Amino acid sequence: GGGGAWEYLCLVRKLKVRRSEKVLKYGLSILNDPKKRSALGPEEWTLYEQLAIAAMDCQCLDVAKVLVDSRLIKLPDVNSCNLKLQDCIKVLHKKFPESKRVVDASYIKLLLNILANVLPIALCGFILLWSTGRLDCMLLEAKGSWAEAEKAYSSLLEDNPLDQVIHKRRVAMAKAQGNISVAIEWLNKYLEIFMADHDAWRELADIYLSLQMYKQAAFCYEELLLSHPTVPLYHLTYADVLYTLGGLENLQTAKKYYASTIDLTGGKNTRALLGICLCTLAIARLSKGRSKDDKESPELQSLAAKVLEKEYKQRAADKLGLLTSALRSLKI
Amino acid sequence: AVNGILLGRVNPQNDGVVEITDSVPLFHSNLALLPSLEIALIMIEEHYGSKGLGIVGYFHANERFDDAELGIVAKNIGDHICRYFPQAAISLLDNKKLEALPMGKDQSPVMQLYIRDASKNWKLAGPDGGSRLVIKEPAANAVLSDYISSEKWQDVVDFDDHLDDIKK
Repeated sequence: GGGGAWEYLCLVRKLKVRRSEKVLKYGLSILNDPKKRSALGPEEWTLYEQLAIAAMDCQCLDVAKVLVDSRLIKLPDVNSCNLKLQDCIKVLHKKFPESKRVVDASYIKLLLNILANVLPIALCGFILLWSTGRLDCMLLEAKGSWAEAEKAYSSLLEDNPLDQVIHKRRVAMAKAQGNISVAIEWLNKYLEIFMADHDAWRELADIYLSLQMYKQAAFCYEELLLSHPTVPLYHLTYADVLYTLGGLENLQTAKKYYASTIDLTGGKNTRALLGICLCTLAIARLSKGRSKDDKESPELQSLAAKVLEKEYKQRAADKLGLLTSALRSLKI
Repeated sequence: AVNGILLGRVNPQNDGVVEITDSVPLFHSNLALLPSLEIALIMIEEHYGSKGLGIVGYFHANERFDDAELGIVAKNIGDHICRYFPQAAISLLDNKKLEALPMGKDQSPVMQLYIRDASKNWKLAGPDGGSRLVIKEPAANAVLSDYISSEKWQDVVDFDDHLDDIKK
């Protein structure tokens, strides 16, 4: 491969993180070095695609165009293999002009021969055409040619109605143009089909939050918690949303989810610890005058406060004063 | 979107002037959630109170380049800030002006000022009198340009960063 740079690129792909500037820098360094480039072999394709997307993200659209077009240069292979396929089909028809049910041994041999030789190339060619088509659409999108991109994506969708990436790019385009209600509608439709896509649920929740539609955002997080009950981030954000919604029941549930976050993160999550303190104070304010049975024990809050103070003392001693006075104003 | 708190004080000689002397960057995700905002405000008030400064405003930058509107989240946080300081203002980043910064010699601020009117609605402070945003230092935009080209934003640590890692 291309040494450390290639490993970095593979890691970025594997973890699905967005580090477009670095990807572009390292990727181009591989491409500009002919030795490293040839060492990649068939992986060169993956590199082109990754780089094209990174270039679009960094608004280096001319670089992106070159990368997308370079993939098309290899397409003559696909064309020649198409011709081979057509020749094979002609031979088959000649040999078996009428047979629809008769299965001849030599027919099978010929078919297997074709499959073994031509299909891999045809398949690669198909994937190449299809993913290049997608890259072309993304390039239009990156340029801001919304109408053209929308047309291109729609036509791709006709052939591949279950392509998740294309569906999501359309939602992204709606969001980028500020059509938030359209984005919400399409994202909801997408999630009806692909309800396991947790990134999409989070994106929908984010959009709802930006519109202060907290109940709807809470619903998204409830879906996430159902399918991924051990991801602390979902517990934490759900608690945050419930706290923001307010009301005694929501606050009590929020406190439980802050507690479960602390449980899942081994007690180290600063936000969750602070959340406990905030919840306790808010609950106490709301339940003033209620019977003693409804009052919660202050143990959880004082435990959380103690852990926070310890953490700050150990790792952020210069800010300990700030924390202590903040905690003071949160005590009932 | 990102946001921040503006700190300062009322000018002791002229109570029609609010001086903004410092700011604290707040969040770059989930701006609409209350818990972190409440904690941040408590800590900021405490820290700056001892220096004689108070919360005087709120800064907001939209995520889309074309979006020049003061969104609902920004307005609500602005209302929240007004509880601390009734004359509080919102400063919204003007994306187009920011883009034009390295090219021109424009010394006007790259932000738009919003003030709350009598019916508690946020209105853009126009050139027709009322309120104005004035930069004290004329070379401020040059300094900003410089910071942008030297990628100084990489050094910015906001409250979100602090909550993720209290060492920051």
